[in-house]
Amino acid sequence: MRFKLLPCVLVLLFTLGACSSSGDIDSDSFKLGLILVGPQNDHGWSQAHFEGASYAVNKTGGELITIDKVNPADSPNVTVPQIVDDMISQGANLIVATSDDMKDGVLEAAAAHPDTPMIWASGDTAWSDGEDYRSDLKSLGNVMGKMEYGKMIAGCAAALQSDTGNISYLGPLINAETRRLVSSTYLGAKYCWETVKGKSVSDLKFKVTWIGFWFNIPGVTQDPTVVVNDFIASGSDVIISGIDTTEAIVVAGQAADSGKAVWAIPYDYEGACSEAAAVCLGVPYFNWGPSYHKIAKTVIDGNFKASFEWIGPDWDDMNNHDSSAIGFMKGDGLTSDNSKSLDEFIEKLAKGDLNLWKGPLNYQDGSAFLPDGKEASDKDIWYLSMLLEGIEGASTTE
Amino acid sequence: MKGFTGPIYSYLAAVLVSMVLVSLLLALFRIPIFETYTLLITGSLGSMTKLGDTLMVSVPLIIASASLVITFKAGLWNIGVEGQIIAGAVAASFIARELQMPTQILLPAMIGAGFLGGAFWGLLVGLLKIRGGVNEIFGGLGLDFVATGLVVYLVIGPWSRKGIASTSGTEPFHENAWFPTVEGFRLSPLAVSVSLLVVLMVIFVFNRTQFGLKLRSIGLNPNSSYRFGIPTSRYILTALVLGGAVAGLAGVTQVASIHHRLVPSISGGYGFLGILVVLLAGYRPFLVIPIAFFFSMIAIGSIQWQLRLGLHSSLGGVFQGTLVLSVVLISAMRLLRQRREKHVKTEE
Amino acid sequence: MSLKLLNIRKSFGTILANDDISVEIGQGEIHGLLGENGAGKSTLVNIISGSLTSDSGTISLDGKYLDMSSPSDAIEAGIGILHQEPLVFLPFSIVDNFLAGLPKSRDFDRKLLQDDVRKISQEYGFDLDPNALASNLTVGERQQLEIARLLWMGARVLILDEPTTAISETQRENLFTTIKLLAANGMSVIFVSHKLDEIQSICDRVTVLRKGSLIDTPTLPCPTSELVNLMFGEYTQDIPQNQSVIGENLLVLDGICVKDANSVIEEVHCKFSEGEIIGLAGLEGAGQRILLRGIAGLTKCYRGRIFFKEKEITNQSYKWYMENGFHYLPADREGEGLIQGLTITEHFALAGNQSQTIDWNKAAQLAEDKLREYSIRGTVTSKPEDLSGGNQQRLLLALMPDNLSVLSMEHPTRGLDIESAEWIWKELLERSKNGTTIIFSSSDIDELINFSDRILVCFSGTIIGNLLSKETTPYEIGSLIGGIHS
Repeated sequence: MRFKLLPCVLVLLFTLGACSSSGDIDSDSFKLGLILVGPQNDHGWSQAHFEGASYAVNKTGGELITIDKVNPADSPNVTVPQIVDDMISQGANLIVATSDDMKDGVLEAAAAHPDTPMIWASGDTAWSDGEDYRSDLKSLGNVMGKMEYGKMIAGCAAALQSDTGNISYLGPLINAETRRLVSSTYLGAKYCWETVKGKSVSDLKFKVTWIGFWFNIPGVTQDPTVVVNDFIASGSDVIISGIDTTEAIVVAGQAADSGKAVWAIPYDYEGACSEAAAVCLGVPYFNWGPSYHKIAKTVIDGNFKASFEWIGPDWDDMNNHDSSAIGFMKGDGLTSDNSKSLDEFIEKLAKGDLNLWKGPLNYQDGSAFLPDGKEASDKDIWYLSMLLEGIEGASTTE
Repeated sequence: MKGFTGPIYSYLAAVLVSMVLVSLLLALFRIPIFETYTLLITGSLGSMTKLGDTLMVSVPLIIASASLVITFKAGLWNIGVEGQIIAGAVAASFIARELQMPTQILLPAMIGAGFLGGAFWGLLVGLLKIRGGVNEIFGGLGLDFVATGLVVYLVIGPWSRKGIASTSGTEPFHENAWFPTVEGFRLSPLAVSVSLLVVLMVIFVFNRTQFGLKLRSIGLNPNSSYRFGIPTSRYILTALVLGGAVAGLAGVTQVASIHHRLVPSISGGYGFLGILVVLLAGYRPFLVIPIAFFFSMIAIGSIQWQLRLGLHSSLGGVFQGTLVLSVVLISAMRLLRQRREKHVKTEE
Repeated sequence: MSLKLLNIRKSFGTILANDDISVEIGQGEIHGLLGENGAGKSTLVNIISGSLTSDSGTISLDGKYLDMSSPSDAIEAGIGILHQEPLVFLPFSIVDNFLAGLPKSRDFDRKLLQDDVRKISQEYGFDLDPNALASNLTVGERQQLEIARLLWMGARVLILDEPTTAISETQRENLFTTIKLLAANGMSVIFVSHKLDEIQSICDRVTVLRKGSLIDTPTLPCPTSELVNLMFGEYTQDIPQNQSVIGENLLVLDGICVKDANSVIEEVHCKFSEGEIIGLAGLEGAGQRILLRGIAGLTKCYRGRIFFKEKEITNQSYKWYMENGFHYLPADREGEGLIQGLTITEHFALAGNQSQTIDWNKAAQLAEDKLREYSIRGTVTSKPEDLSGGNQQRLLLALMPDNLSVLSMEHPTRGLDIESAEWIWKELLERSKNGTTIIFSSSDIDELINFSDRILVCFSGTIIGNLLSKETTPYEIGSLIGGIHS
């Protein structure tokens, strides 16, 4: 008896499911499906995406549907293609997958749904010059902010404030993206250490330790809290975070409470400084709102074209929420002198007077990366194969 | 702990109790109750795709539970299943990565390797217990950690993607190493068949063979069993090896039909979830299938709660937990009533 | 003041554990309770201390009738019991141990309580620091703690249940001093033991139980031989003895020593013939059980040699023993003999050792036949826990292979009703007639004399007597059991 209802329900559902079809999109019925790798309130990478997508949907109208914690450790039963199916059957018009880790899943889903606009944030599969170009996936685009600038500014702020010249970088996993971000940070730090503070580069110690993933997975990654404590114990006075979550600033805040002179620079999310405002020198963050809004509009207007977008800051005001893809929000920990020096540094970057990705630059192992005077191309930077000379820490898998 | 041995209808009672409890919770947060449950059903069974996904989640859970039935019946608290799943996954991944072969040969080779890999991990637990006197709980748990460490090492080291050191996972396998799926769905008939065959095998072993009867008798009373002339140590070892081998198959289906690559959390917690399934099933292998399927419905259906209702992603876990507690509660109440009745009888 | 038991009766199933027991214990009296294992001592003690309710009969203290349904009722009424293993919460401090058993009705004040503990300790010469952890105490000190606690809770009658089993000689002397002091202060003490010398040295009177009945309550001291007679009964009946034909030397024990965690038997030299029946007498734990296990190959001997049909078999596996017709039947029929949770059919499938796959029809048929043949009241789907003790024993016999060389058996008829007991012995005598050597232990001297050809008496892990049952008397056996050479 109790099974009689089931077939009815099934039939009903199939008919309902069949009703959804594509056509002109009324902006009120627009649905953006957002797939996050971490919790949507992580004060880091995932929250930045969530707020960006909320911004976009606020502007366009319609609805945001979100699934968070999509990674094998937190959600072993859930895969990206599965969620994409669900979101599409629920009427999603645009799907945004927001982690480098979702690569395989998003490619599979894009192949299965060639007509649904999709974005793989931080990816490169729509870059016709890129190494992983997938010309077959016509509806899969990429977006990424030029965080290199944010990281250069972070590096500069770290060098300005550091007394010991001992700066540590809490790295996630090793890939081209993280290599270029760590290297950018180092370039900013080195410049400000030498040029602004007038010290010798040999007195600057810049070390990266990789935990193995974008955030802590107990038993699998190194514990970021332990790593940051080790940094502090080994004499670092500025900790720069490259991971999605806030351990660096939290631990630095605790160390400062116990009387240590330690500062931190979190990552990803504009509000990340609030975890320990007094020790925060600032935070380079993503502002996904404008890009997601732009893409959502093309979808609604019916002229979405998959493209590779690598977007720099709005140099007029990099903290403008309506225009800038990345920003740097200074923190309470930065002294006013250093704040002034940092503004001057930002000014130089903005005007294009200063390009730190310019030769001569060597790789970590001493081999040449860029000859004197040569500026790095986008491809040089995106696919950086080894950390730059002067950085301590692993470049690849060894 | 002998597992839940109540009659079938008491499961329905447990489901009802947990639904009431969860409903109260939902009402407290002003979440539409009826819709929540409808979404659970539609989200897990509402389309062929969803039914397929639910089945695919139930595959490793059923296999892991079947493995646990073998060892639990033999009186062994085998919580090393997680590690054995991982060992099976690693062995299958090795074959998938290293051998270039047509899929008809490669897939059986992966299954065989996973079987052996899990068996080896089970053997370690058994040797630790029998030769080293290490209780299977500690041996199993320890080897779980060793297995996770091994995968992390492989994924970030020798098997890492080119230029990348991430615990995310290895490069996806060549498609020859993927279990074939029904066109247009993620459902793999091969994986489902493996899980059903495993359960059938366990049922056969315990219903029809001397080996299964002896394992049961050891589980019920090792002293008497020894007096009956059963070499208990050897049977315990065999049970752990066989349990490990079966668990290894769950690892194979995880890499070959779900992830198509090796990831550190390849075991997906199914080894632990399986313990709940087996306890609820009262070690009865045929009950493992519906219970595991129901757990999978919650796992898959609850995604809709987040998608459609914006509920927190952990609510599915809350529901599962409430369900288990309800079953425990009902079985406790039943025992209490029986004891009271018995008491009344003896008083008379 | 006195404790008066009147017509106490208690049965378990068909066993009458206490049959119409009446005894009166006066104030300040140390009263012994004597009897061998299974005589009914524990039952009586449990009834007095509230753990068991009697089927009929009354208990009164100072003329007031007591209605007790739990040990806490008993202590409320003023009756406290010191168990063989003192019931102490090891991780707790001494004061907390006092509090743990506190009745709901009583208020407490830690400070006052500490003073009380010190006061009692001083009075009885105990060495108890109120704040020390119980886990640091020796067994003797735990007894002191428990006695102090019972005193504090107002005990006027103190039951000591075999208190000297686990303590050293010095501790025993201290305990006896305490007991005498308690009695001098007006406490009625019930001292349970089966050690004759202890009873003699400390008790004013002793109640002797045998097979559930009160035999006599003599005043002490009296000749020990009288106590032995009371305990084991005089050999009165002329029951036809076992008429087994004794064949050649089958099994030879050459100085074997066997032990496990709980017991030991050493230096056993013995020869057993085909078809011979040997009874092992002795108190519980004197070494009979471990010897029987050693003979059956279940526990390996650590010294000495065993010969079977003139071949040494000392180091053969249990499997070899089984294949060569050795069989062991334990006293704990549910815990070690049968498998709770398996049906009778499954037991036969297990014992039958057929091919790898089981033919359940065949197994059920075999079970059916055996149930009939052994008159077991149960069905093929019954489980051991559904069967009475007698039927469990019949089932164990039914599960034995047909041709046995040596049957090594603990307490063949313990706890069985008379009908089952007779049936079991008929079956065993039949086996013996067919050549099976039977070695069994028993605490029933009649059983030993009636059915054995020879009786070996175990005492404290050695064999101290090897008697021909035709020539011995219950008195001789009883004395040897108590460690007394006559």
